[in-house]
Order: sequence, then structure tokens, then C-alpha cells
Amino acid sequence: MIKSIKKIVKDFTLSELRGGLKITAKELINKKITVQFPEERTPISPRFRGLHALRRYPNGEERCIACKLCEAVCPANAITIESEMRDDGTRRTTQYDIDLFKCIFCGFCEEACPVDAIVETQIFEYAFVGSRDGNDNIKGQFGSVITKDQLLEVGDKNKKMIDQTKLEDSKYK
Amino acid sequence: MAKIEIEIDGKLVNARAGEMLIAVTDRESISVPRFCYHKKLSISANCRMCLVDVEGAPKPQPACSTPIADGMKIHTQNEKAKASQKAVMEFLLINHPLDCPICDQGGECELQDVAMDYGSDVSRFTEGKRIVADSDIGALIQTDMTRCIHCTRCVRFGAEIAGIMEMGGTGRGEDMKIEPFLTEGIQSELSGNMIDVCPVGALTSKPFRYELRSWQMNSMSNIARHDLVGSNIYTQTYKGKVKRIVARDNDDTNETWISDRDRFSYEGLAHENRLLAPQIKVEGEWKEVEWNVALDFATRGLGNSVLNNHQSDQLGALASNTATLEEFHLLQKILRELGSENIDHRLNVKNLNSPIALDSNVKLVNLENMDHALIIGSYTRLEQPMVNHRLRKASLKGATVDVINAMEFDFNYSINSENIIAPNKVVATLAGVLKVVLESKQQELPDYLTSVKTDDVITELAEKLLAEGQSVIVLGEHVINNDSAASIANLITNIAKQTKSSTLNLSASGNSMAANLSGFVPGKGGLDVNAMLESELKAYILLDVYPHYDFHHSIKAIDALNKDGAFIISLNSFKDKDVANYSDVMLPISCFYETSGSHVNIEGEIQSFTASVSAPSDTKPAWKVLKVLADLLELPGFHYADSAQVTSEITHQSHKSHVHDENIDLTTKQGIQIIWQKSPYAVDALSRHAISLQATKIGQMNSASMNKATAKKLEMTQGDEYLGVPAIISETVANNCVFVNANRSTQAGGQS
Repeated sequence: MIKSIKKIVKDFTLSELRGGLKITAKELINKKITVQFPEERTPISPRFRGLHALRRYPNGEERCIACKLCEAVCPANAITIESEMRDDGTRRTTQYDIDLFKCIFCGFCEEACPVDAIVETQIFEYAFVGSRDGNDNIKGQFGSVITKDQLLEVGDKNKKMIDQTKLEDSKYK
Repeated sequence: MAKIEIEIDGKLVNARAGEMLIAVTDRESISVPRFCYHKKLSISANCRMCLVDVEGAPKPQPACSTPIADGMKIHTQNEKAKASQKAVMEFLLINHPLDCPICDQGGECELQDVAMDYGSDVSRFTEGKRIVADSDIGALIQTDMTRCIHCTRCVRFGAEIAGIMEMGGTGRGEDMKIEPFLTEGIQSELSGNMIDVCPVGALTSKPFRYELRSWQMNSMSNIARHDLVGSNIYTQTYKGKVKRIVARDNDDTNETWISDRDRFSYEGLAHENRLLAPQIKVEGEWKEVEWNVALDFATRGLGNSVLNNHQSDQLGALASNTATLEEFHLLQKILRELGSENIDHRLNVKNLNSPIALDSNVKLVNLENMDHALIIGSYTRLEQPMVNHRLRKASLKGATVDVINAMEFDFNYSINSENIIAPNKVVATLAGVLKVVLESKQQELPDYLTSVKTDDVITELAEKLLAEGQSVIVLGEHVINNDSAASIANLITNIAKQTKSSTLNLSASGNSMAANLSGFVPGKGGLDVNAMLESELKAYILLDVYPHYDFHHSIKAIDALNKDGAFIISLNSFKDKDVANYSDVMLPISCFYETSGSHVNIEGEIQSFTASVSAPSDTKPAWKVLKVLADLLELPGFHYADSAQVTSEITHQSHKSHVHDENIDLTTKQGIQIIWQKSPYAVDALSRHAISLQATKIGQMNSASMNKATAKKLEMTQGDEYLGVPAIISETVANNCVFVNANRSTQAGGQS
């Protein structure tokens, strides 16, 4: 009996509507959370797994030693590596291809790498130009299969960002 | 030995008294980690990885060197055993570098596997790790001695199996190094096995360096066809290419070892000199065409030159000794269906009127139980390494080995008496031996023996054969072109019969046992190879023939094949200048591991194999080419779906036993005799194209050895060219004899 009276009073005083409008009014005054991409960006975790890159040592030497652990661990079989003995006797890749259509961005390659050569950067806005092998006429772009040189280029261009994210994440490793 | 019962991890196990514990656990599939123990090598117990807990013993015992006794109770997995194994692992990892990602052994490394089970993930070792300098030990083995854990398997392999202790440990403790004693590197013909026995990445394959990781390859069983043993191998392939070859266990043939020739010859498969497309010669110009065009051209050519004129006796077929059993069978079947008996594979034999006829009647396994061996005309070590390995085992067990050779060779076991005599005196020596044997048995001497002289040496050779115990007489390749080859073989048969010795005929090579089995020899009215070349036939089918290397007299053979008017179909896997000159059609065939087929070894064992990789480019397996050729010639009975059907046809046909001449003729020619022996890594086209093999010292053997007196007669000095081969003056050669070891074709070619 008392329950139904309470309900009638609530309904006729529009208390729920006022409750909702209160939030609207609060949000009218509060700071906006909508971001105007691409002019504005949200922060990205240092563990974000975006486009791949191959890194170099400070002296310019490529890090990858063609151990093929990333190729072995890759669940999507997206990585193809061929290796050789370079003239100076070190073990190096002659081919390092990642099929970005196959890749599921799981980050296992990065985990498996004993020399931190292959990394996944925070880059997520990119387009494939041309077909599989890309279009040679457009510099700095790649097709759906990204090659060793292109991966190294991504690494060189974004060295600062990669170093920064690695540093940030190193505390938790 | 007495059977006893022991308890391992609470399980009762039967074993023989005196067995080592690790042999029992291996048989029972109980895993005990180990590095230095290898079933075919002696026990050194220096890695201590196999420590197990034996009840009653105060300390853990190494399983590899603990003989079992009745009622022993062993724990391989309890706390004490595990703790000692972990402690040993920690010590082994102190100096082992953490370079698994660039190590070729990574993924197939015994240390890596055991470290996964017993290693700690944190190192307590903070001092600097040991670094060992590497030395270049040859073209086949790559060293990274920093990775070495001093198990000494390679050292023991050298000392016990290869017979040359090339690797050794120097220094003690922290300073201990495993290194070759000689600066010129590893010379053994079995050296590649060190790669297999090395449990870590200290010794790895040089041609394979950094190419692939072990998990990327497929392993296929196959048979190596370079010698008369047919060693069992695994071909490891990647993307349709043979990338590496390792040994496959088979105690009846090669045990766990293979020769370097079997291991490294695969490199030739990828050589740029491969013949990859069918070609026909139109008005003197070579033209690459489709297979159907080439085969049509071939059949039409055969028709025009011989078949349409009913001159099938003007057609001949020659094959090299590397063909498979099926290829030999199909080619001889084509010829015989067409009505020609001109079939031969004995290209390197000078006198085929009286060829060597000697049965091999000893199993390879039994060779090691011999009490005495007489080797005639063979450098077994390099020519038939796996046979030599058995003889060496026999020698180590106490067998005496006598040798009759034209030159002193470096055998890797002790030789009782090494008789260096010129080729023309071999027959007299053997006749003398037979005479002594017959006299000692008080049997009547045949006429030809009455005037034979004997001396102390001959008597001693005979007495050894007559002595109690099993003996074997081995006839080698150097005898094939001896003027008295047939008589030598017949004398051996007689001596063997009288002394109850076994015989082993190593005068053939490659897969020639298969050629004999499939009847790839001239039939009734057929011509042998020398007669064919002399009578200038009108058409030939040549199966993988390289005239500069294969024929006894290459110049004569090339001239004969170059004669105008002969229509020549060549099936080859490699390009060759001379083949291109004389052929009208060149059909590219697959090589060794690219085809299925069978090898017949010296025991007569047929070992079949499937293709490990598909034939590259436009090449086809020769058995398929021959089958289609037969179909195009409209011959009946060539309905095969695979090579196994061909094999079963061969094994089901009855073989005529060859009736051969038992004449013995002791007359010999005087003058300087030449033995022309292909160097061991030049026996077939594949090994000739294997670059790393050719870079070894054995691969570069190319010399005409003669002594001072002979050199004076020939007016030669050191380094002069004799028949195109540099002369070496050495007193190790018999007088009046030149021993030629040639690794490449020479302009002069052949033998006198």
C-alpha cells in the first residue's frame, strides 16, 4: 500500500527526469571528452601494438640477426625470413617480410626477439599503396607485404618514439 | 652373459650383467641426460651430466660408466639425482655463451634441450666468460670453440672411428681447449660425422652455415649412391631444395656414420651448371624447346637413323654408374625391345673381352669379425670409406691386414705387410700364393703354376690366408685396367675356394651392382662399350654420361661419338661441353635426391628411396623420360605408374647366372704401367659440382705419382705434366708404375 503511494508521488513529481537532466546539466559545464582526430589525439599505452619496425644499434648496425624466432612463434605465419652469412662473418637477413594482412598484431614477434630488433610501434594510421609489393614510385609507402628495407625505414623515422615507449615499458618487464 | 634384474625408478628391468647403466635406461626409454656418452664411442664419463642415484653408493654415479649388478636399485629422478644433474648443468653453462639465436645448432642442440629441463634461469656466475679463438679447420666444418663443453666426442671419434686423431684437448681446467693438432685442418674422409656427434654448436656444417634453422626443414629418408655401400641418410629439405644431409642409423650398412662425400655432395644439386631445359640441335645450333618437341625429335631421329632401315643393331645404350636400378632396367628394356643388345655401363674398363668376374660373398657386418684381410689394388679408405671402416674395426679387434698395392697409401689401421709391386707383377704374386696354398694342401698343381716362383713374402701371404679363422680377400678398383684383371680375379676365386676365404669385389663403383642386376650388359651378339665406339654405331642413347670423366679413353670416346652421322640422345643432369658437341638432343634429368629409385649395394641388398625434392625447373626423373620415350616408340610393356612398379618387375624376373671364363694367363707386358684412378671426390657429376668437397685436400687430389727411376725413364721432373696431370716424384710408388689420381678432365684423358 505504502509502496504504491510512493510510486505515484515519484511519477508525478518527475523525479527521474530531473535526475537525468541533472547529469545533462553537469556535462554541459564539464570539460568535453570528445577528441577531434586527427587534430587531437588520445594518449596511447607504451604497450600499444601497431605497425612493425626493425631497429638499429646506435652505431647504425641493424639489430636483426636472423634467428627466425619471430618467424617460428608467429601464429599467423606472417613473417618470412631468409638468412646468409654477411661478408664480415655475421649472421644477417637477406629478406624480412611481414604480410600485414596475415598479421594479427599479437606482439609475439616482439616478445620472442632476443635482440629487440622487431618491435610494434604506436603507429596505427597507415595505408597500403599499390598491391602486395607496394608501388615503387611512391616513396616511404608500402604494400600489404612490408619488406626489410621498409621496416628499417619505419624504425629509423620513428626512432625517438620507439626508444621512448621502450623506456616507459621497461619498468614493467 | 648372465641375465639379471635391476630396479630403475621402482620398475624391475631385465638386463645383462656388465652392461652400462645408460645402455639399459636407453633401451627402456628412461631419459637420462648426457653429453659425452655416445653409443658408438668409448666411454669417457667426463661431462658428469648422467649422474644418477644408486642405492648404497655414497655419491651419485655416472650412468654411462656404472656397470650394473644384480639387485641394483637406481633412481634417475629423485632429489639427489636431480640436484646433482642441476649442479652439473650450472657448471657447464658457466662458460657456454648465450648465443643460441645465431648458433646453427639452435633447435637441435642437446645442451639447449637439457638446459630446458635442468638449467636455472638465473646465472650466479658474475665473472667473465671464457672465449676461445677459432682456427679454420677446412672447408667442411665450421668451429665456434667458445661453445665447446669438452665432451671430447669429436676427439674420440677421430681416434676411434676415423682413425686419425685430428682433434685433441690441450691445456687443463679453465685453459682446456679442443683444437686440431695440425694447422692444415681436418683431413679425414669421415670428418663430417664430427658435426653429428658434437652435442653443441662448436662444430657445425660450413656449407650450411647460417642458412636455415633446424625446425624449418623436412627430413626425408634417402640413400647415398656414391659408393657400393649405399649409406642411409636423411635429406633435409626446405622449399624444394636439399639443404643438408645427415646420417641415418642402419647397423647393416653405415652404422651411424656417413662419408663426407655422401654428406656434402648435395651442394652440386644447386650448381649453376645444371642442365635445366630440353634442347635440340637444329643445323648445328642448340635450341631450347618443350619436352614434347624434344622427345618427338628424339624418336624421329632414332627412326631416321636406325629403326626405319631395320638397323636396330646400329643402336647402342651407355649409362654411367650413378643411374638407379630402375633407369638401368628401363633403358636396357627399350634397347632389347627395339632389338639391340648393345648395352653397357662399364665405360672405364679397357678390356671387356675378359672382364673381372668375382663374387662378393660377405656381409658388411661380418667384415668386422674377420681375422685376416688381403687387400689387392685398393685405397679402401678413400674409395669405399664405409667398407674401410668395417675393415678398421676388424683390425682393431686384432685382424691382420695384408696389402698388395702399386703405391703406399695412408691406411688408418696397422697393416701387417704392405707389398708395393707394379701392376704387371700382381698376377704372378697371386699365382705364387695359390701355388703355396695348393702345395700346403698337397694338391696337384695345374700346369700354369708349375713354373711360378715363390718367395718368403708370397709364402707369408699364403700362410695368413691358410691360418685358422675367417679371412677375406678384397679386390679393389686399381685392378680394373690391369692387363691380367680377369686372371687376377680368377686366381682370387681359386685362392678363396682353397682357403675358405670370403671375397669382396670393390672393383665396381657407384650403383654398378644395380646395372648388373638389371642386365645392363651386352647380351648375345651385342657389343660392349669399346666395340660400340670402334664400330661407329648410327645412334646412341647416353644416360648421364660425361665423356671426359667416365670413359677409359676419353679422347678416343669423344672422337668416336663426334663422328658425323651418329644420332645421339643424351640424358644429363649437368651441362658438359663434349656432350653438347656430339649430342643431337639433350634431355635434362633429375639428379640423385630428386628422383625415386633403388640402389643395390655390395651385399646385393636393394635399397629403394623416394624423391626428397621435386625435380627443379624443367628437368624430369630419368625413369619417366625413358618410359615416355618407350611409349613414343610404341614399345609394349611400359605401363608404369611409379618407379616402384619398375622395381618389382626387376625383383620378380629371374636372373641368369653369368658363365664366365675361368682361364688364367700369367703372361704380362713389360714396361711402364699406369693406374688411372679418379680422385675420390670426382667419382660422379654431383660430387664434382660440390664446391666445398672440391675445396678439401682430398677433393684437390690431382697428381701422377712415380718414383725416381720411372721419372728418369719418362724424362719427367717434379711438377711436369704427365698426361695433363702434375707429376710427383715419390719413392712410395712401385718401380715402373705411374699412379694417377685425377680430379678433373685432362686433355690427354684416359689411360695408355
